[in-house]
Amino acid sequence: MEESKYVGKSTVRIDGKAKISGAAKFIEDIDFGADLLYAEVVESKFAHAIINSIDTSEAEKFPGVVKVVTGKEFPYRFGLYMHDRYIFAQDRVRFVGEQIAAVIARTPAAARKAAKLVKVDYTELPNVLNVEDALKKDTFLLHPELGNYQHVPWFFPKPDTNISHLRKVRKGDAEKAFKEADFVFEDTYTVPRYAHCAIEVHGTIGLFDNSERLTVWTASQSPYTQRHLFAEALSPLGLTHKDVRVITPFVGGGFGGKAGVSMEIIGAALATTVKGRPVKVLWSRAQEFYNTYQRQGLTCRIKVGVNKDGKIIAMDNTLYWDAGAYVEYGANVVNAAGLSASGPYNIPNVKIDSYCVYTNLPPGGPYRGFGYSEFLFGLESHMNEIAKNINIDPVQFRRINAIREGDILNYGGKMNPNGLIEAIDKVAEAIDWGKKEYSDDPNKAIGKGIALFWKAPAMPPNASSSAFLKFNEDASLNIMISGMEIGQGLLTVMAQIAAEVLSVPPEKIRVETPDTDRNPYEWQTVASHVTWGCGRAVERAAIDAREQIFDLIERALGKERSSLYLQDECVKSKKDIEFSLPLKDFIINGIMKEDGTYRGGPIIGRGMFMPEFSSALSDPETSQGGKPNVHYTVGASAIKIEIDRQTGKMTIPKAVLAIDVGRALNPNLIKGQITGGLLQGIATVLYEDMRYSDKGKLLNASFSDYKIPTAMDIPAEVVSIIIETPQPDGPSGARGMGEHTMIPAAPMIANAVEDALGIRIKSMPVTAEKIALSMINENIKADIINS
Amino acid sequence: MSENQFDYVKPKFLNEALDIISKSVNPFILAGGTDLIDMIKEGIVQPDMVVDLKGIEQFNQITFKNDILTIGAGVTFSQLIVSKVIKDNFPIIAELSRTVASVGIRNRATMIGNICSAVPCMDSGPLLTSYEAMIILAGPKGERKVSAENWFINSRKTAIEKGEIVTGISIPYPGKHAGCFVKLGRYEGEDLAQVNLVILALSDGNFRVSFGSVAPVPVRAKKIENLINGKTISHTLIEDAFNIIEEEIKPITDIRASKEYRMHMAKIMFERGLNAALSRLNGAGPEYGISVI
Amino acid sequence: MKKEINFILNGEKVNLEVAPGEILLEVLRDKLGVKSPKCGCNKGDCGTCTVMLNGKTVRSCLVLAIEVNDQEVVTLEGIMHSGLTPLQESFLKHNSFQCGFCAPGMILSATELLGKNPKPEKREIQEAIAGNLCRCTGYSPVIDAIIDLTN
Repeated sequence: MEESKYVGKSTVRIDGKAKISGAAKFIEDIDFGADLLYAEVVESKFAHAIINSIDTSEAEKFPGVVKVVTGKEFPYRFGLYMHDRYIFAQDRVRFVGEQIAAVIARTPAAARKAAKLVKVDYTELPNVLNVEDALKKDTFLLHPELGNYQHVPWFFPKPDTNISHLRKVRKGDAEKAFKEADFVFEDTYTVPRYAHCAIEVHGTIGLFDNSERLTVWTASQSPYTQRHLFAEALSPLGLTHKDVRVITPFVGGGFGGKAGVSMEIIGAALATTVKGRPVKVLWSRAQEFYNTYQRQGLTCRIKVGVNKDGKIIAMDNTLYWDAGAYVEYGANVVNAAGLSASGPYNIPNVKIDSYCVYTNLPPGGPYRGFGYSEFLFGLESHMNEIAKNINIDPVQFRRINAIREGDILNYGGKMNPNGLIEAIDKVAEAIDWGKKEYSDDPNKAIGKGIALFWKAPAMPPNASSSAFLKFNEDASLNIMISGMEIGQGLLTVMAQIAAEVLSVPPEKIRVETPDTDRNPYEWQTVASHVTWGCGRAVERAAIDAREQIFDLIERALGKERSSLYLQDECVKSKKDIEFSLPLKDFIINGIMKEDGTYRGGPIIGRGMFMPEFSSALSDPETSQGGKPNVHYTVGASAIKIEIDRQTGKMTIPKAVLAIDVGRALNPNLIKGQITGGLLQGIATVLYEDMRYSDKGKLLNASFSDYKIPTAMDIPAEVVSIIIETPQPDGPSGARGMGEHTMIPAAPMIANAVEDALGIRIKSMPVTAEKIALSMINENIKADIINS
Repeated sequence: MSENQFDYVKPKFLNEALDIISKSVNPFILAGGTDLIDMIKEGIVQPDMVVDLKGIEQFNQITFKNDILTIGAGVTFSQLIVSKVIKDNFPIIAELSRTVASVGIRNRATMIGNICSAVPCMDSGPLLTSYEAMIILAGPKGERKVSAENWFINSRKTAIEKGEIVTGISIPYPGKHAGCFVKLGRYEGEDLAQVNLVILALSDGNFRVSFGSVAPVPVRAKKIENLINGKTISHTLIEDAFNIIEEEIKPITDIRASKEYRMHMAKIMFERGLNAALSRLNGAGPEYGISVI
Repeated sequence: MKKEINFILNGEKVNLEVAPGEILLEVLRDKLGVKSPKCGCNKGDCGTCTVMLNGKTVRSCLVLAIEVNDQEVVTLEGIMHSGLTPLQESFLKHNSFQCGFCAPGMILSATELLGKNPKPEKREIQEAIAGNLCRCTGYSPVIDAIIDLTN
């Protein structure tokens, strides 16, 4: 690897000062003037009902109300991967909280009060609140029109059922292999729904001005996808893409929750009804819980065939996803997880069925980990159980089966270069694997757990990125991208990548958040792919600028092009050691010739990247063929927990996570992802889950009862281990790693609990309460056996 | 902007405050505001008058005279944590106060507000029943005192009468003693108690035990006290106490915890709290502020 | 029913009329243009609206604007009169914040702690910032930055 100057260094975030000084503007910090209108949404009281009528007359009369809008005005279906949802409910509501109408008023208070005056007459329908009910033969269909919905070619809906997509994987001959296996282990694991809990809520402001252009300010990970969906959904109004502008200021946390389009469509649509005036829609914290994407629930039935030597020869994994009322984004979670649900193992015979099931709960959607956290809980718990049953150490068992470069993936492609074995060995060493530890407190037991993880970006094969880069007079730079800074440090890393090519230090580079009028296309900031994809686009934009510089120097000064290079913000020549021309001397104003004429002009670079090797086309019955995944990022994580046998309470003296990032472009930022992601993962297993009433109403839509961890609830020590096996097509060899840091948390804690107490908990979360009550039951069982 | 229409006054004297509330239709008293303002915003209460007590200087005081600790109506949990008088004589009050919400709430929230809201999961309830505290009220008919035991009538219902203001709490010093506050939350950070417990170990060998969050109002567990008073704590005695706990408290299942776990934890908390209180009485045991669960 | 209030905001005298029902957070943000306090939950659970009232952190979403009459309010903007504070510099160095939404509140909570106790133990730091929720960082970079500053 060539010595680098900026890439690979822990450059201080270029957006750091804005964030610690309060200068960073978030959606709510933008002022829209005195004519700003406010919208309040009228929500469904029922999980499933027919809307007979909506009476808006009282609301319309309320002082301060400007307009009341219902679904009648927007009878269009839309969606990201499948067109199965509406801006406002049409004749039917499918979850508690679904938007039915909106009241636009001059003050938030007037909008709120008037919204209560909108009368909706419903006829209740049977609720389908879980996967089991949804799949029954005589079940009620949530989407009788499913067969007519437009969708991407890699989805396979089953009309006249509640199955909106089924991803089937068939590799080798699993049935035969199970018959040959020395042992077969089968079990079922369940995972509830989870909330992202970004500290900033969703908000959007739409302005359809008198020239009929629509500008929408959103708190979003996906400005271009939003623009596209707004333009598409509102095209009956005559809007085209050029008329729609999306501006995304800093985002107060995303985690997948601000990907795609959720409530933002309401702001865009409402704006078109009050031409000339901006209208704001802001979710309350409660709405943030019940009417944005949620992480889908999962029931997974897993069967593994293994030989005495510890080699896994077959896996059958059936995943039933509680995907909620609309699956336009969530079905792709089901798809991605289905393709990879064998985990980071080399298994010759694999059968996977991943079912996307409609239920009358809020829509599922992307959440950091994109389905992998969910299936890894069952898979990695099960791996430990198998190891225990066949008397092989869990670490050794994983080493035997871990996937290596060149191994055949579930869809027939080959595994990319990776350091999974190194990761396993390093976490095992860091956690003192194999050394049984005892607490000083007789009430407490210490346990250790390990889990492996892998994840590939889930993206369309043509998901692309682009970048503009422009020099300023002093040779400082502005880079324009539409990759979104959501906390991960994207702006800084993009600056580092350009800095490396152009020899301009990152502190002289400004990268701002997107405005689709100014910044070029980016698919979305999801899938842990922007460092990789957007990074390649920036790298190419920088190279483009550099080549223009060399062209100019050759043309204006006659220097041999191939001898030129950039160093310390100057153009230099290998053939002429004396030659050193500062960029600032010509980068805008060109180079003067002897006759007083100039050569050159402002240098502007452009770059784009599309993974041209990727394809989502494959046999629907087997998933063989195509290359749906651009690469997998792998790693291993281990944890030491101390459990109070009586209370079930746990503390975490140490957590270790090793991840192969290809190349650590900024090690400090990577460590930030590890400490943050791990805690988010730990919280899903120890504290959090979404609870619903038997009427489908979310019961814990607040931080008082959906407990996200505080500074007092963190591991005492987190060890971050960075492994670098370069990704051949990544910028400087880098690959994505942002989501991955949370996905091993649940199974490694469940495994540590088992190690400490001998109790296997197969449903998340693994709370103190669950452990304590399990211990009591175990003791009762033991007493019965003893007597 | 908030849609709530009410008037606001900040009197300097108690009489002034009493006069205002006597003339208002639906007056609410504002001290820390951490409950009240949330309820106003949510539309749960619709006051026509909000009387801010923070202008009345005497309410801001913690005094310890003639073996009586008096906590004024404006005293915040943060004040209780740093008070020397409390640290020296009633360290369990500081121990408890440190578990109430978080710093930014404790800087405003008051113990009196806590017992006036009187939600079942409040932390101050079992403290006051264990200490046999008196709630001091001022009203149109003058001052009156209500024992903590009689103060809590039901969930969110207290013995306060129309026109009255709680001016403070008086806590009689029970002689040299130690204690332990134990709170069950879902994690270490801010949480509403699923069970809480105050045990006092007095130097005469007697105990005071009160549970919170396991019934609509705090439960002073006198049967348990009678069982253990004056006795050497043994394993059998604890087992007997567990049986009584099953009779004395009636935890429910809600979103925060199941009744089974609450019952189980009430016993564990009792055993550990009792041991800690006894050790502390003998100058040992965990430092105040260290949770025993 | 509007009433006039006078208070000191970040060292400057402020005079305005408010209705008694107006919330301090909304008045700061919408009437006075002070945007560092954010609204994350509107119920006092998340700590993003933290401001200092007479030197102590409070949840400005649970304070009536009228209550600060004759009092002193300091927001993040008000602690930077001579540039970034050493605490902020330490946060920058330690990559303590990711999305940055919780930063203003977190910084004020840490500032209050260091004002009371310049050499806090780790546990005290954790307690002091426990009311400021952060979903990005896992808190350890925040705690490390405070410890680093006190060494």
